[in-house]
Amino acid sequence: MGWRRQHSVLVTTGSLLLLSLALLLANSGGGRRVDPLGVVFLELVAPVASLSQTATARLASAWESYIDLVGVREEREWLRTRVRELELDLDRKRRIDDENRRLRAILQLREELGAMPVAARITGVGASQLFHTATIDRGTSQGVGEGMAVLARPGVVGRIVAASPNAARVLLLEDPTSGVDAVVQRSRARGIVEGGASGLLHLKFVGRGEELRVGDEIVTSGLDGIFPRGIPLGHIATVETSESGLFQTAELAPVVDFERLEEVLVLAAPEREMPPAAGEKG
Amino acid sequence: MRSFLILALSGIFAVVIQTTQIGRLGILPAAPNLILVLVVYLGLRVPTPAGALGAFLLGYLLDTFSGSVPGLHCFTMTLVFAMVYLVSGRLWMQNPITSLAIMVLACFLEIFTLTAYFAWTGVLGAGATGLLGTLATPALLALLVSPLLFTLLDAYVPPVSRKKTHAAE
Repeated sequence: MGWRRQHSVLVTTGSLLLLSLALLLANSGGGRRVDPLGVVFLELVAPVASLSQTATARLASAWESYIDLVGVREEREWLRTRVRELELDLDRKRRIDDENRRLRAILQLREELGAMPVAARITGVGASQLFHTATIDRGTSQGVGEGMAVLARPGVVGRIVAASPNAARVLLLEDPTSGVDAVVQRSRARGIVEGGASGLLHLKFVGRGEELRVGDEIVTSGLDGIFPRGIPLGHIATVETSESGLFQTAELAPVVDFERLEEVLVLAAPEREMPPAAGEKG
Repeated sequence: MRSFLILALSGIFAVVIQTTQIGRLGILPAAPNLILVLVVYLGLRVPTPAGALGAFLLGYLLDTFSGSVPGLHCFTMTLVFAMVYLVSGRLWMQNPITSLAIMVLACFLEIFTLTAYFAWTGVLGAGATGLLGTLATPALLALLVSPLLFTLLDAYVPPVSRKKTHAAE
């Protein structure tokens, strides 16, 4: 009895080994399953297993949702990048379309002028708000010289005031110091078109007896030795007739949008035309 | 009583995790044999008849949930407990290194016992290598997680010294 108490662990372990060996042998034969505690353990562990199953299912679901979310996020980033690429592509195509349209207009103008003008690109605009000038990428090397007319598809842009071998400066028509000899297309009344601070052009020195109407088209007269005859300058916006004085003036809306100019034609000075006789008006 | 409850709950959680959850999450290549870790822990820290009974019941629990032959894990775990009890009684000191060494021995014993059983029943044959791999992976994983589990259990279960056991006897 004392020995058994002293070696109780070994005795217990030995007994349990024999018991488990018996259990194992009993179940190895392939006959009826001997499993006295199995049902008890199943019942004992079932609630914990159920809870654990639920928790794991939620965890797995949350994990899958996270993975899905990551996938959606990646897809969204890809789509955003694609949209940006397509927008850039669209912008590029629009620019090409615009450029194509402008170049066609320039080409048409060149054909209309019948001369061999020099096509140029606007490379810069004047830094001062008071004076309106622009720089083009053609100079004396390409036949551009001081005093030449600068035109765009709708009408007069200005004239060259300085030229270097590969660049030139254009005094724009809207500059207050510019002046172009002009006629009213409808009535052939003569005047001088000058720039103004407000962005509108001014038609000056039109005789008091001439009829000016809002909307009248004003074109170059060809008498200043710079611009060919009949190039549009603008349309009359307002007419100012003073009580006294010999002349009347008008404000013109320019036909050229000076803010959006990109390509222009530089034209060599035409031969000076003789002023039309009074009977040619109308 | 507190130790019993903690160990019983640990056994239940171990078998639940081992037999259902880890495989479901798919984090590890196999479920670590946590029951084996608990049995080694019992052999090291609870060297009493109650510890032996605990090892037997843990083996039975494993048989219920993952064994096709009731009694096989029961026998194996009791044998592992006996080995750990005998080996640890001959050690001069116990530290994490010796615990890990005993854990290695326990892994080998478990693999050997199960392999021997399958050899005896004729299951083992041409697929011996595959069976060894199947048995070795959970054992190796159990070896890896054992320091963590031992530390956790040590924090909550007061150790039962061998001297105290003998004095009681």
